[in-house]
Amino acid sequence: MFWKVSLKQDVGTAMKNVGSFIVFGSFAVGAFYFSNFVTAYLLDNVKIGLFLFHRFVGMFLFIFFVTINLGNMVVSFSTLYRSPEVDFLLSNPVSYRNIFVIKFLDNFFYSSGTLFLVGFSVLLGYGVHFSLPWHFYPLAMAGVMIPFMFLAACMAVIVLLLVMKLASKINFKVLIGAIVIFYVFQVYLYFRVSNPIHMVEEVMKYYPHVDLYFGSLDPGSVKLLPNFWVSEFLYFYVTKNFVAVGGYVFLLVLSTAALFVFTLVLGNALFYSTWITSLSLKSMSVKKLTMKSSFFSFRKKSFFVPQTEVLLKKEFWQFVREPSQWIHFVVMFALLAVFLSSVSTLNIKLQSPELKAVVYLVVFIFNIFLINSIALRFGFPLISLEGNAYWTLKSTPISAHKFYWTKFFVATIFLVCLSIVISWLSNIPYLYARSVEGIFPGMKSVETPHVAVRTLAYFSILVTPVITLTLTSMNYGLGSVYANFAEKNPIRIASSQGATMTFLLTLVYLVLLLAVYLYPATAMFVNEARGTAIDWRVLQITFLIITIPSLIIIGCVHLLGLRSLRRDF
Amino acid sequence: MIELKHLTKKFGSFTAVDDVSLSIPAGEFFGFLGPNGAGKTTTIKMMTGLFTPTDGQIIINGFDVVHQPMEAKSTFGYIPDHPYMYDKLTGREFIYYMGGLYRMEKEKLKESVEQVIDLLELASWIDKKTEDYSQGMRQRVTFASAFVHNPKNIIIDEPMVGLDPRSARIVKDTLKRRSKEGVSIFMSTHILEMAEELCDRIAIINKAKIIFLDTKENLNVHKVHYDGNLESVFLELTKEPYSE
Repeated sequence: MFWKVSLKQDVGTAMKNVGSFIVFGSFAVGAFYFSNFVTAYLLDNVKIGLFLFHRFVGMFLFIFFVTINLGNMVVSFSTLYRSPEVDFLLSNPVSYRNIFVIKFLDNFFYSSGTLFLVGFSVLLGYGVHFSLPWHFYPLAMAGVMIPFMFLAACMAVIVLLLVMKLASKINFKVLIGAIVIFYVFQVYLYFRVSNPIHMVEEVMKYYPHVDLYFGSLDPGSVKLLPNFWVSEFLYFYVTKNFVAVGGYVFLLVLSTAALFVFTLVLGNALFYSTWITSLSLKSMSVKKLTMKSSFFSFRKKSFFVPQTEVLLKKEFWQFVREPSQWIHFVVMFALLAVFLSSVSTLNIKLQSPELKAVVYLVVFIFNIFLINSIALRFGFPLISLEGNAYWTLKSTPISAHKFYWTKFFVATIFLVCLSIVISWLSNIPYLYARSVEGIFPGMKSVETPHVAVRTLAYFSILVTPVITLTLTSMNYGLGSVYANFAEKNPIRIASSQGATMTFLLTLVYLVLLLAVYLYPATAMFVNEARGTAIDWRVLQITFLIITIPSLIIIGCVHLLGLRSLRRDF
Repeated sequence: MIELKHLTKKFGSFTAVDDVSLSIPAGEFFGFLGPNGAGKTTTIKMMTGLFTPTDGQIIINGFDVVHQPMEAKSTFGYIPDHPYMYDKLTGREFIYYMGGLYRMEKEKLKESVEQVIDLLELASWIDKKTEDYSQGMRQRVTFASAFVHNPKNIIIDEPMVGLDPRSARIVKDTLKRRSKEGVSIFMSTHILEMAEELCDRIAIINKAKIIFLDTKENLNVHKVHYDGNLESVFLELTKEPYSE
């Protein structure tokens, strides 16, 4: 009997592993082709030149760096200071130095496993385009990408340790506010200093001779950033300047090693005392909470039926009283605000309709990616966050449908509204007339976007809610399928194996979306350039190609999500 | 009224509950005893809708738990063995939340919440977040949330875990009073003295099967054959067969 049970379990585990392998493998292949295609498209079709291409890579890496940095900071707060495992280890003969190192490395590798896979696939796609030799890949991974990511993680833990140290003297909420402002300012400053629009305009003056090295255009402060070192490493590898390549590898490895040593020294000095501080922070939050004044008070009557009302109120309080939820939300929202304030005033003077379409698509897909990130971070863990208290829903007269849809609509209404705002703001340059500098100094003229471009902008605002609904459904529905009621930390839930699989599937959807959107976007900018009439069939067909599969996906993931709620608890 | 008819639960080839049939009339205090892993919690989880039975039927107040879950669940209150709650809610909010899930109207709910808080003496700490509660405090709030909608049946899995003597007394007295008022109580416990003190009828489950089912009066007759206490009867009935 034992053998039979074991065999069944082994078959089940093997099936799951095979399934994971297929999804991860497919994604790796997809990331390879995508990176290969984007590289080829920008360099061969749009002809932006090697220098500009690598500056875009550098900007993408900056966002990547900040994301890893913030992600590690929030995860480290939970695992170093709010983890029962650390409490348990500290009550045993394990030194707090070892606990710090183990939890720090655990955080890094836990949250970065998929990123290694994605990074490698993207590098492979990039390398194949340039026919780079085999030794590029191990060097780029071990000497550049891993140190780059590790550097972000070390910085995150250093900031966290310092914040926790200061928390004994300064109000914790004030510190969090300061951190948020600091990061938002940092992102704002980066894009202000690096000024991508100015750079594009300057480089394009030399068109078609854009393959020159325009290093003099790089602002000095940007050269101190690790994302710049990585993009320079790639640029010089492609242009076969191996002395510069070696220099940047050395710089990255040395900086990472130095920062790691500093992290260990700081951890050794501060971890235990800051852990004690975290206890006092926790005890400070023990207070009586009054229900009388709040709009969301359980005592207040609402126009919802009782079950809906208590579910909504419970969701609200669980969110606003959980620091790892609202802190992450505030940070993401602030970064979003910076991004939107930049793109809503975007004014790139480009001639080529293809290049205009690429810029438009980059902004469009980045919007969708942001929405997907928010849906993954906050939508995926929604069912799991019921935690061990899920018995309250299973044993009371509330149907699984009601509970499932109520939670879903909370997330969806918020995300769909947000997506419309994002879409509208990012389309402002394509929707409204604006004054531009004239030929003579002091002269201003009003430039009205062409009707085709305006139509494309309205079309994007129209399809964005459909796309958001699909992404929210995928994250929420698959979050139900992969529900883990034992995990309390929403960030760990959103970076679990199930979440990673979901993320990969949503990325496949995004890539397909991009492929579908490429033709109508280019067609509209060609209409603008040539002054030709809009072919409405293009937009109608695009709408159908996006909507019909999206509705099928929505139906499938919700069926799976609801079915999974029937499981024994 | 609670009825279990040929209730069976299998996990793969392992049978956790095997053909269990019981009937608990209104107002009866029923004790469900058994060693660890005998199938007590699995039975209760099937009764409360947390597990789906592999076979058999559970009828609570005339409603089938599997086929009429909403109607059946409206009639009982459940106290699990581990009183997990939403950490970020206060005890009072949790009781309101549970009342809302039972579709109670706000005015009636407010009145009932105050009553259960008074009854279980929770007032001094009920407005703190449940993450700061001890095991006993959680257990008492879970009792309050199970009583808040005035159920006709109460299903309890290990009620005394973490309760101090005063809280245990309050809980016992409340349960006794509810039973006298006509509420059926199905209680699983390891504490034999409590089963003897409170229950009208006792069943012992071992290795997924009911091996003893009788009234307290008849149990006293059985006890005479041993050394006069329930513990000896329990140990004898549930002992592992000797094998070489």
